[in-house]
Amino acid sequence: MVLKVKDLGKSFGKTSIFKQVSFDVDKGEIVCIKGKSGEGKTTLLRCINDLEKADAGSIEINGLIMCKEENGHIKYAAKDEMLSIRQEIGLVFQSYNLFPHMTVKENLMEAPLFLKKMPKNQIEQSAMELLNQLELDGKENSYPYQLSGGQKQRVAIARACMLNPSILCFDEPTSALDESTRMQISKIIRQLSAQGIAIIIVTHDNAFVDEIAQRVITLSKGSISEKLI
Amino acid sequence: MMEMKVLNMLVPMTLSGLVTTLGVFIITLVVSVPLSIVVAKLRMSKNLFVSNITAAYIYVMRGTPLLLQLMFIFFGYHYVPVIGYAFGRYQAIFVAFILNYTAYFAEIFRGGINSIDVGQYEASKVLGLSKSHTFMKIVLPQVMKTVMPSVGNEVITLVKDTSLVYILGVTEILKAAKAVSNTYATFSPYIYIGLVYLLITAVLTKVLNKVENKFNYYR
Ligand SMILES: Nc1ncnc2c1ncn2[C@@H]1O[C@H](COP(=O)(O)OP(=O)(O)O)[C@@H](O)[C@H]1O
Ligand SMILES: [Mg+2]
Repeated sequence: MVLKVKDLGKSFGKTSIFKQVSFDVDKGEIVCIKGKSGEGKTTLLRCINDLEKADAGSIEINGLIMCKEENGHIKYAAKDEMLSIRQEIGLVFQSYNLFPHMTVKENLMEAPLFLKKMPKNQIEQSAMELLNQLELDGKENSYPYQLSGGQKQRVAIARACMLNPSILCFDEPTSALDESTRMQISKIIRQLSAQGIAIIIVTHDNAFVDEIAQRVITLSKGSISEKLI
Repeated sequence: MMEMKVLNMLVPMTLSGLVTTLGVFIITLVVSVPLSIVVAKLRMSKNLFVSNITAAYIYVMRGTPLLLQLMFIFFGYHYVPVIGYAFGRYQAIFVAFILNYTAYFAEIFRGGINSIDVGQYEASKVLGLSKSHTFMKIVLPQVMKTVMPSVGNEVITLVKDTSLVYILGVTEILKAAKAVSNTYATFSPYIYIGLVYLLITAVLTKVLNKVENKFNYYR
Protein backbone atom coordinates (compact mmCIF):
# COMPACT_ATOMS: atom_id res chain seq x y z
CA MET A 1 0.00 0.00 0.00
CA VAL A 2 1.36 3.43 -0.86
CA LEU A 3 -1.35 5.27 1.05
CA LYS A 4 -3.02 4.24 4.26
CA VAL A 5 -5.63 6.58 5.70
CA LYS A 6 -7.14 5.47 9.00
CA ASP A 7 -9.96 6.99 11.04
CA LEU A 8 -9.24 10.43 9.62
CA GLY A 9 -11.37 13.27 10.95
CA LYS A 10 -11.51 16.93 10.12
CA SER A 11 -13.60 19.84 11.38
CA PHE A 12 -13.48 23.54 10.72
CA GLY A 13 -14.20 25.06 14.09
CA LYS A 14 -17.32 23.28 15.32
CA THR A 15 -18.39 22.02 11.90
CA SER A 16 -17.34 18.45 11.36
CA ILE A 17 -16.52 17.84 7.68
CA PHE A 18 -15.80 14.11 7.87
CA LYS A 19 -15.14 11.51 10.56
CA GLN A 20 -13.56 8.06 10.76
CA VAL A 21 -12.53 8.03 7.11
CA SER A 22 -10.36 5.01 6.29
CA PHE A 23 -9.10 3.73 2.95
CA ASP A 24 -5.95 2.36 1.35
CA VAL A 25 -4.52 2.91 -2.10
CA ASP A 26 -2.19 0.47 -3.79
CA LYS A 27 0.73 1.13 -6.14
CA GLY A 28 -0.46 2.11 -9.61
CA GLU A 29 -4.11 2.01 -8.64
CA ILE A 30 -6.65 4.54 -9.94
CA VAL A 31 -9.04 5.46 -7.15
CA CYS A 32 -11.86 7.97 -7.50
CA ILE A 33 -13.34 9.76 -4.54
CA LYS A 34 -16.76 11.00 -5.50
CA GLY A 35 -19.49 12.81 -3.72
CA LYS A 36 -21.79 15.79 -4.06
CA SER A 37 -20.48 19.30 -3.96
CA GLY A 38 -19.64 20.43 -0.44
CA GLU A 39 -19.22 16.90 0.96
CA GLY A 40 -15.57 17.52 1.82
CA LYS A 41 -13.74 15.86 -1.07
CA THR A 42 -11.34 18.74 -1.57
CA THR A 43 -10.78 18.97 2.18
CA LEU A 44 -9.91 15.27 2.33
CA LEU A 45 -7.44 15.67 -0.54
CA ARG A 46 -5.93 18.73 1.13
CA CYS A 47 -5.43 16.74 4.34
CA ILE A 48 -3.60 13.99 2.47
CA ASN A 49 -1.35 16.67 0.97
CA ASP A 50 -0.79 18.44 4.29
CA LEU A 51 -2.47 21.65 3.14
CA GLU A 52 -4.98 21.14 5.92
CA LYS A 53 -4.25 19.58 9.30
CA ALA A 54 -6.54 16.70 10.22
CA ASP A 55 -7.66 16.55 13.82
CA ALA A 56 -7.93 12.80 14.24
CA GLY A 57 -6.59 9.64 12.66
CA SER A 58 -3.47 8.72 10.73
CA ILE A 59 -1.99 9.07 7.26
CA GLU A 60 0.85 6.89 6.05
CA ILE A 61 2.49 7.46 2.69
CA ASN A 62 4.87 4.87 1.28
CA GLY A 63 5.72 3.68 4.77
CA LEU A 64 6.35 7.20 6.07
CA ILE A 65 4.02 8.49 8.75
CA MET A 66 2.61 11.95 8.04
CA CYS A 67 0.41 11.97 11.11
CA LYS A 68 -0.82 9.52 13.68
CA GLU A 69 -2.82 9.46 16.81
CA GLU A 70 -0.86 9.49 20.08
CA ASN A 71 -2.77 9.28 23.38
CA GLY A 72 -5.81 10.98 22.01
CA HIS A 73 -3.97 13.72 20.10
CA ILE A 74 -2.91 13.89 16.49
CA LYS A 75 0.82 14.26 15.98
CA TYR A 76 2.41 15.36 12.71
CA ALA A 77 5.84 14.44 11.38
CA ALA A 78 8.69 16.88 12.01
CA LYS A 79 9.60 19.38 9.31
CA ASP A 80 12.46 17.40 7.70
CA GLU A 81 10.45 14.20 7.69
CA MET A 82 7.50 16.10 6.20
CA LEU A 83 9.67 17.34 3.35
CA SER A 84 10.51 13.74 2.40
CA ILE A 85 6.88 12.69 2.71
CA ARG A 86 5.78 15.59 0.55
CA GLN A 87 7.96 14.39 -2.31
CA GLU A 88 6.12 11.07 -2.29
CA ILE A 89 2.81 12.72 -3.09
CA GLY A 90 1.89 15.27 -5.75
CA LEU A 91 -1.23 17.35 -6.22
CA VAL A 92 -2.77 18.80 -9.37
CA PHE A 93 -4.93 21.69 -8.18
CA GLN A 94 -8.33 22.36 -9.67
CA SER A 95 -7.06 25.79 -10.77
CA TYR A 96 -3.57 24.36 -11.57
CA ASN A 97 -1.74 27.17 -9.70
CA LEU A 98 1.12 27.39 -12.17
CA PHE A 99 3.70 30.09 -11.52
CA PRO A 100 2.63 32.76 -14.05
CA HIS A 101 6.00 34.53 -14.17
CA MET A 102 7.88 31.39 -15.14
CA THR A 103 8.02 29.51 -18.40
CA VAL A 104 6.68 25.99 -18.60
CA LYS A 105 10.20 24.59 -18.26
CA GLU A 106 10.98 26.85 -15.30
CA ASN A 107 7.73 25.75 -13.63
CA LEU A 108 8.87 22.15 -13.94
CA MET A 109 12.46 22.75 -12.83
CA GLU A 110 11.87 25.05 -9.87
CA ALA A 111 11.23 22.42 -7.17
CA PRO A 112 13.81 19.81 -8.21
CA LEU A 113 16.42 22.57 -8.51
CA PHE A 114 15.56 23.90 -5.07
CA LEU A 115 15.57 20.41 -3.56
CA LYS A 116 18.80 19.57 -5.42
CA LYS A 117 17.31 16.31 -6.62
CA MET A 118 19.82 15.93 -9.48
CA PRO A 119 22.37 18.00 -11.40
CA LYS A 120 20.76 20.79 -13.39
CA ASN A 121 21.29 19.25 -16.83
CA GLN A 122 19.62 16.02 -15.72
CA ILE A 123 16.69 17.96 -14.29
CA GLU A 124 16.35 19.79 -17.57
CA GLN A 125 16.51 16.51 -19.47
CA SER A 126 13.77 14.89 -17.40
CA ALA A 127 11.65 18.04 -17.79
CA MET A 128 11.94 17.78 -21.56
CA GLU A 129 11.08 14.06 -21.47
CA LEU A 130 8.00 14.69 -19.36
CA LEU A 131 6.85 17.50 -21.64
CA ASN A 132 7.23 15.14 -24.54
CA GLN A 133 5.26 12.39 -22.77
CA LEU A 134 2.47 14.87 -21.97
CA GLU A 135 2.33 16.13 -25.56
CA LEU A 136 3.66 19.56 -24.67
CA ASP A 137 6.60 19.56 -27.08
CA GLY A 138 7.50 23.06 -28.18
CA LYS A 139 5.74 24.65 -25.21
CA GLU A 140 8.75 24.64 -22.88
CA ASN A 141 9.40 28.37 -23.32
CA SER A 142 5.75 29.47 -23.22
CA TYR A 143 4.27 31.24 -20.24
CA PRO A 144 1.14 29.81 -18.59
CA TYR A 145 -1.08 32.60 -19.95
CA GLN A 146 -0.22 31.47 -23.46
CA LEU A 147 -1.61 27.97 -22.88
CA SER A 148 -5.10 26.47 -23.09
CA GLY A 149 -6.77 25.01 -20.00
CA GLY A 150 -5.89 21.45 -20.96
CA GLN A 151 -2.27 22.40 -21.62
CA LYS A 152 -2.02 24.18 -18.26
CA GLN A 153 -3.35 21.10 -16.56
CA ARG A 154 -0.75 18.93 -18.26
CA VAL A 155 1.99 21.35 -17.19
CA ALA A 156 0.69 21.06 -13.62
CA ILE A 157 0.83 17.25 -13.93
CA ALA A 158 4.36 17.40 -15.33
CA ARG A 159 5.44 19.77 -12.56
CA ALA A 160 4.15 17.36 -9.91
CA CYS A 161 5.77 14.38 -11.67
CA MET A 162 9.20 16.05 -11.63
CA LEU A 163 9.59 14.94 -8.02
CA ASN A 164 8.83 11.29 -8.90
CA PRO A 165 5.89 10.93 -6.52
CA SER A 166 4.40 7.54 -5.62
CA ILE A 167 0.95 9.11 -5.51
CA LEU A 168 -0.58 11.79 -7.68
CA CYS A 169 -3.80 13.51 -6.62
CA PHE A 170 -6.24 15.38 -8.85
CA ASP A 171 -8.96 17.75 -7.69
CA GLU A 172 -11.84 17.85 -10.20
CA PRO A 173 -9.58 17.27 -13.21
CA THR A 174 -12.41 17.39 -15.74
CA SER A 175 -14.22 20.45 -14.45
CA ALA A 176 -12.76 22.82 -17.05
CA LEU A 177 -12.18 20.49 -19.96
CA ASP A 178 -13.97 19.83 -23.24
CA GLU A 179 -14.54 16.37 -24.70
CA SER A 180 -11.22 15.96 -26.55
CA THR A 181 -9.03 17.22 -23.71
CA ARG A 182 -10.94 14.87 -21.42
CA MET A 183 -9.91 11.93 -23.58
CA GLN A 184 -6.34 13.14 -23.48
CA ILE A 185 -6.30 13.49 -19.70
CA SER A 186 -7.72 10.02 -19.13
CA LYS A 187 -5.09 8.58 -21.45
CA ILE A 188 -2.35 10.38 -19.49
CA ILE A 189 -3.74 9.26 -16.15
CA ARG A 190 -3.73 5.64 -17.35
CA GLN A 191 -0.14 6.02 -18.56
CA LEU A 192 0.98 7.35 -15.18
CA SER A 193 -0.82 4.55 -13.39
CA ALA A 194 0.86 2.03 -15.69
CA GLN A 195 4.20 3.50 -14.59
CA GLY A 196 3.26 2.54 -11.03
CA ILE A 197 2.04 5.89 -9.77
CA ALA A 198 -1.07 5.59 -7.60
CA ILE A 199 -3.76 8.02 -8.76
CA ILE A 200 -6.38 9.58 -6.52
CA ILE A 201 -9.06 11.56 -8.31
CA VAL A 202 -11.60 13.68 -6.49
CA THR A 203 -14.59 14.44 -8.69
CA HIS A 204 -18.35 14.74 -8.93
CA ASP A 205 -18.21 13.86 -12.63
CA ASN A 206 -19.86 10.40 -12.73
CA ALA A 207 -19.13 9.82 -16.40
CA PHE A 208 -15.44 10.36 -15.80
CA VAL A 209 -15.53 8.02 -12.78
CA ASP A 210 -17.13 5.28 -14.92
CA GLU A 211 -14.49 5.79 -17.56
CA ILE A 212 -11.36 5.77 -15.44
CA ALA A 213 -11.86 4.40 -11.93
CA GLN A 214 -10.54 1.03 -10.83
CA ARG A 215 -12.08 1.64 -7.42
CA VAL A 216 -14.63 4.17 -6.23
CA ILE A 217 -14.92 5.69 -2.79
CA THR A 218 -18.01 7.74 -2.06
CA LEU A 219 -17.92 10.49 0.48
CA SER A 220 -21.33 11.26 1.85
CA LYS A 221 -22.49 12.93 5.06
CA GLY A 222 -18.99 12.91 6.50
CA SER A 223 -18.23 9.22 6.03
CA ILE A 224 -17.27 6.93 3.19
CA SER A 225 -18.45 3.83 1.47
CA GLU A 226 -16.52 1.79 -1.06
CA LYS A 227 -17.42 -0.18 -4.09
CA LEU A 228 -15.20 -2.26 -6.31
CA ILE A 229 -15.88 -2.27 -10.02
CA MET B 1 20.92 91.53 -20.35
CA MET B 2 19.24 91.19 -17.04
CA GLU B 3 18.29 87.59 -17.92
CA MET B 4 21.98 86.79 -18.58
CA LYS B 5 22.86 87.91 -15.07
CA VAL B 6 20.05 85.83 -13.66
CA LEU B 7 21.23 82.76 -15.55
CA ASN B 8 24.86 83.40 -14.62
CA MET B 9 23.91 83.16 -10.99
CA LEU B 10 21.23 80.48 -11.35
CA VAL B 11 23.08 77.86 -13.40
CA PRO B 12 25.99 77.15 -11.01
CA MET B 13 23.65 77.29 -8.00
CA THR B 14 21.23 74.94 -9.70
CA LEU B 15 24.00 72.49 -10.53
CA SER B 16 25.17 72.30 -6.93
CA GLY B 17 21.55 72.24 -5.72
CA LEU B 18 20.95 69.36 -8.11
CA VAL B 19 23.51 67.27 -6.19
CA THR B 20 21.35 67.59 -3.07
CA THR B 21 18.07 67.04 -4.92
CA LEU B 22 19.28 63.94 -6.73
CA GLY B 23 21.29 62.70 -3.75
CA VAL B 24 18.27 62.76 -1.44
CA PHE B 25 16.17 61.22 -4.20
CA ILE B 26 18.50 58.32 -4.98
CA ILE B 27 19.50 57.44 -1.43
CA THR B 28 15.88 57.51 -0.23
CA LEU B 29 14.82 55.24 -3.07
CA VAL B 30 17.67 52.76 -2.77
CA VAL B 31 17.22 52.34 1.00
CA SER B 32 13.43 52.66 1.29
CA VAL B 33 12.30 50.16 -1.31
CA PRO B 34 14.08 47.08 0.11
CA LEU B 35 13.46 48.24 3.68
CA SER B 36 9.76 48.68 2.98
CA ILE B 37 9.44 45.02 1.93
CA VAL B 38 10.74 44.04 5.36
CA VAL B 39 8.39 46.52 7.04
CA ALA B 40 5.44 45.18 5.01
CA LYS B 41 6.25 41.66 6.24
CA LEU B 42 6.44 42.94 9.85
CA ARG B 43 3.15 44.76 9.38
CA MET B 44 1.60 41.45 8.27
CA SER B 45 3.20 39.49 11.10
CA LYS B 46 0.97 37.16 13.12
CA ASN B 47 2.66 38.53 16.23
CA LEU B 48 0.22 41.26 17.31
CA PHE B 49 2.91 43.23 19.11
CA VAL B 50 5.09 43.40 16.00
CA SER B 51 2.23 44.19 13.62
CA ASN B 52 0.77 46.86 15.93
CA ILE B 53 4.10 48.62 16.44
CA THR B 54 4.63 48.61 12.69
CA ALA B 55 1.11 49.88 12.07
CA ALA B 56 1.70 52.72 14.54
CA TYR B 57 4.93 53.70 12.81
CA ILE B 58 3.20 53.72 9.42
CA TYR B 59 0.30 55.72 10.85
CA VAL B 60 2.58 58.41 12.25
CA MET B 61 4.65 58.66 9.07
CA ARG B 62 1.65 58.90 6.80
CA GLY B 63 -0.42 60.97 9.22
CA THR B 64 1.99 63.89 9.63
CA PRO B 65 3.66 66.12 7.04
CA LEU B 66 7.16 65.19 5.94
CA LEU B 67 8.12 68.80 6.62
CA LEU B 68 7.21 68.36 10.27
CA GLN B 69 9.11 65.08 10.44
CA LEU B 70 12.22 66.78 9.08
CA MET B 71 11.98 69.51 11.72
CA PHE B 72 11.25 67.03 14.47
CA ILE B 73 14.23 64.83 13.69
CA PHE B 74 16.62 67.77 13.30
CA PHE B 75 15.50 70.14 16.06
CA GLY B 76 13.49 67.73 18.19
CA TYR B 77 16.25 66.43 20.41
CA HIS B 78 16.37 69.77 22.23
CA TYR B 79 12.82 69.23 23.36
CA VAL B 80 12.26 65.49 23.21
CA PRO B 81 15.07 63.88 25.16
CA VAL B 82 14.11 60.36 24.02
CA ILE B 83 15.69 61.05 20.64
CA GLY B 84 18.88 61.41 22.63
CA TYR B 85 20.99 62.18 19.61
CA ALA B 86 21.63 65.35 17.67
CA PHE B 87 21.46 64.50 13.99
CA GLY B 88 23.54 66.45 11.52
CA ARG B 89 21.59 68.26 8.82
CA TYR B 90 22.13 65.65 6.16
CA GLN B 91 21.68 62.77 8.58
CA ALA B 92 18.35 64.24 9.63
CA ILE B 93 17.30 64.61 6.01
CA PHE B 94 18.13 61.02 5.12
CA VAL B 95 16.55 59.61 8.28
CA ALA B 96 13.33 61.58 7.77
CA PHE B 97 13.03 60.80 4.06
CA ILE B 98 13.84 57.12 4.50
CA LEU B 99 11.42 56.68 7.44
CA ASN B 100 8.67 58.53 5.60
CA TYR B 101 9.01 56.85 2.22
CA THR B 102 9.53 53.40 3.73
CA ALA B 103 6.10 53.75 5.35
CA TYR B 104 4.41 54.62 2.06
CA PHE B 105 6.21 51.90 0.10
CA ALA B 106 5.47 49.36 2.86
CA GLU B 107 1.74 49.94 2.45
CA ILE B 108 2.05 49.53 -1.31
CA PHE B 109 3.97 46.28 -0.87
CA ARG B 110 1.50 45.02 1.71
CA GLY B 111 -1.29 45.49 -0.82
CA GLY B 112 0.82 43.74 -3.44
CA ILE B 113 1.65 40.78 -1.21
CA ASN B 114 -2.03 40.44 -0.22
CA SER B 115 -3.06 40.35 -3.87
CA ILE B 116 -1.12 37.14 -4.52
CA ASP B 117 -3.42 34.12 -4.74
CA VAL B 118 -3.08 31.59 -1.88
CA GLY B 119 -2.81 28.95 -4.58
CA GLN B 120 0.71 30.21 -5.28
CA TYR B 121 1.73 29.51 -1.69
CA GLU B 122 -0.04 26.15 -1.68
CA ALA B 123 1.56 25.03 -4.94
CA SER B 124 4.95 26.04 -3.52
CA LYS B 125 4.28 24.12 -0.33
CA VAL B 126 3.28 20.86 -1.99
CA LEU B 127 6.35 21.13 -4.22
CA GLY B 128 8.56 21.31 -1.13
CA LEU B 129 9.77 24.89 -1.58
CA SER B 130 10.75 26.62 1.66
CA LYS B 131 8.88 29.67 2.91
CA SER B 132 11.75 32.04 2.18
CA HIS B 133 12.30 30.58 -1.29
CA THR B 134 8.58 30.87 -1.97
CA PHE B 135 8.60 34.52 -0.96
CA MET B 136 11.73 35.50 -2.88
CA LYS B 137 11.20 33.49 -6.06
CA ILE B 138 7.44 32.99 -6.39
CA VAL B 139 5.70 35.81 -4.52
CA LEU B 140 8.00 38.81 -4.75
CA PRO B 141 8.50 38.78 -8.53
CA GLN B 142 4.72 38.82 -8.96
CA VAL B 143 4.33 41.52 -6.32
CA MET B 144 6.86 43.70 -8.16
CA LYS B 145 4.71 43.61 -11.27
CA THR B 146 1.53 44.63 -9.45
CA VAL B 147 3.11 47.39 -7.35
CA MET B 148 5.15 49.04 -10.11
CA PRO B 149 2.51 51.65 -11.09
CA SER B 150 1.98 52.76 -7.47
CA VAL B 151 5.69 52.75 -6.71
CA GLY B 152 6.17 54.88 -9.82
CA ASN B 153 3.73 57.47 -8.47
CA GLU B 154 5.62 57.70 -5.20
CA VAL B 155 8.90 58.03 -7.06
CA ILE B 156 7.61 61.08 -8.94
CA THR B 157 6.28 62.56 -5.67
CA LEU B 158 9.67 61.99 -4.06
CA VAL B 159 11.41 64.16 -6.65
CA LYS B 160 9.20 67.08 -5.70
CA ASP B 161 9.38 66.34 -1.96
CA THR B 162 13.16 66.80 -2.03
CA SER B 163 12.45 70.55 -2.11
CA LEU B 164 11.37 70.29 1.56
CA VAL B 165 14.96 70.07 2.77
CA TYR B 166 15.12 73.89 2.53
CA ILE B 167 13.58 73.90 6.03
CA LEU B 168 16.91 72.70 7.43
CA GLY B 169 18.80 75.38 5.52
CA VAL B 170 20.10 73.03 2.84
CA THR B 171 20.20 74.37 -0.70
CA GLU B 172 18.55 72.30 -3.37
CA ILE B 173 17.29 73.53 -6.71
CA LEU B 174 14.13 75.30 -5.52
CA LYS B 175 16.05 77.19 -2.85
CA ALA B 176 18.66 78.16 -5.46
CA ALA B 177 15.86 79.69 -7.52
CA LYS B 178 14.57 81.57 -4.52
CA ALA B 179 18.03 83.08 -3.80
CA VAL B 180 18.41 84.26 -7.39
CA SER B 181 14.86 85.58 -7.46
CA ASN B 182 15.47 87.61 -4.32
CA THR B 183 18.78 88.98 -5.59
CA TYR B 184 17.40 90.25 -8.90
CA ALA B 185 13.79 90.80 -7.88
CA THR B 186 12.55 88.64 -10.73
CA PHE B 187 10.26 85.64 -11.01
CA SER B 188 12.02 83.96 -13.93
CA PRO B 189 14.31 81.64 -11.87
CA TYR B 190 11.21 79.85 -10.65
CA ILE B 191 10.18 79.21 -14.22
CA TYR B 192 13.58 77.77 -15.08
CA ILE B 193 13.50 75.55 -12.01
CA GLY B 194 9.99 74.43 -12.89
CA LEU B 195 11.40 73.29 -16.21
CA VAL B 196 14.20 71.43 -14.44
CA TYR B 197 11.63 69.51 -12.38
CA LEU B 198 9.69 68.71 -15.54
CA LEU B 199 12.85 67.46 -17.19
CA ILE B 200 13.68 65.18 -14.26
CA THR B 201 10.11 63.88 -14.22
CA ALA B 202 10.19 63.26 -17.98
CA VAL B 203 13.35 61.16 -17.62
CA LEU B 204 11.90 59.25 -14.67
CA THR B 205 8.63 58.60 -16.46
CA LYS B 206 10.60 57.05 -19.33
CA VAL B 207 12.63 54.90 -16.95
CA LEU B 208 9.53 53.82 -15.01
CA ASN B 209 7.75 52.87 -18.22
CA LYS B 210 10.76 50.78 -19.21
CA VAL B 211 10.70 48.99 -15.86
CA GLU B 212 6.94 48.40 -16.10
CA ASN B 213 7.37 46.97 -19.57
CA LYS B 214 10.02 44.62 -18.27
CA PHE B 215 7.29 42.97 -16.21
CA ASN B 216 4.96 42.66 -19.18
CA TYR B 217 6.45 39.41 -20.41
CA TYR B 218 3.66 37.54 -18.64
CA ARG B 219 0.11 38.14 -17.50
N1 LIG C 1 -10.97 26.71 5.17
C1 LIG C 1 -12.25 26.41 5.48
N2 LIG C 1 -12.84 26.93 6.57
C2 LIG C 1 -14.12 26.63 6.89
N3 LIG C 1 -14.90 25.81 6.16
C3 LIG C 1 -14.38 25.24 5.05
C4 LIG C 1 -13.02 25.52 4.65
N4 LIG C 1 -12.77 24.83 3.52
C5 LIG C 1 -13.91 24.16 3.23
N5 LIG C 1 -14.86 24.41 4.14
C6 LIG C 1 -16.23 23.81 4.17
O1 LIG C 1 -16.10 22.42 4.16
C7 LIG C 1 -17.11 21.82 3.39
C8 LIG C 1 -16.51 20.89 2.37
O2 LIG C 1 -15.82 21.65 1.38
P1 LIG C 1 -15.00 20.96 0.22
O3 LIG C 1 -14.00 20.06 0.81
O4 LIG C 1 -14.48 22.02 -0.65
O5 LIG C 1 -16.11 20.13 -0.53
P2 LIG C 1 -16.13 19.47 -1.99
O6 LIG C 1 -14.74 19.53 -2.54
O7 LIG C 1 -16.61 18.08 -1.76
O8 LIG C 1 -17.11 20.25 -2.81
C9 LIG C 1 -17.92 22.95 2.78
O9 LIG C 1 -19.09 23.12 3.53
C10 LIG C 1 -17.02 24.14 2.92
O10 LIG C 1 -17.78 25.31 3.09
MG1 LIG D 1 -14.02 20.46 -4.25
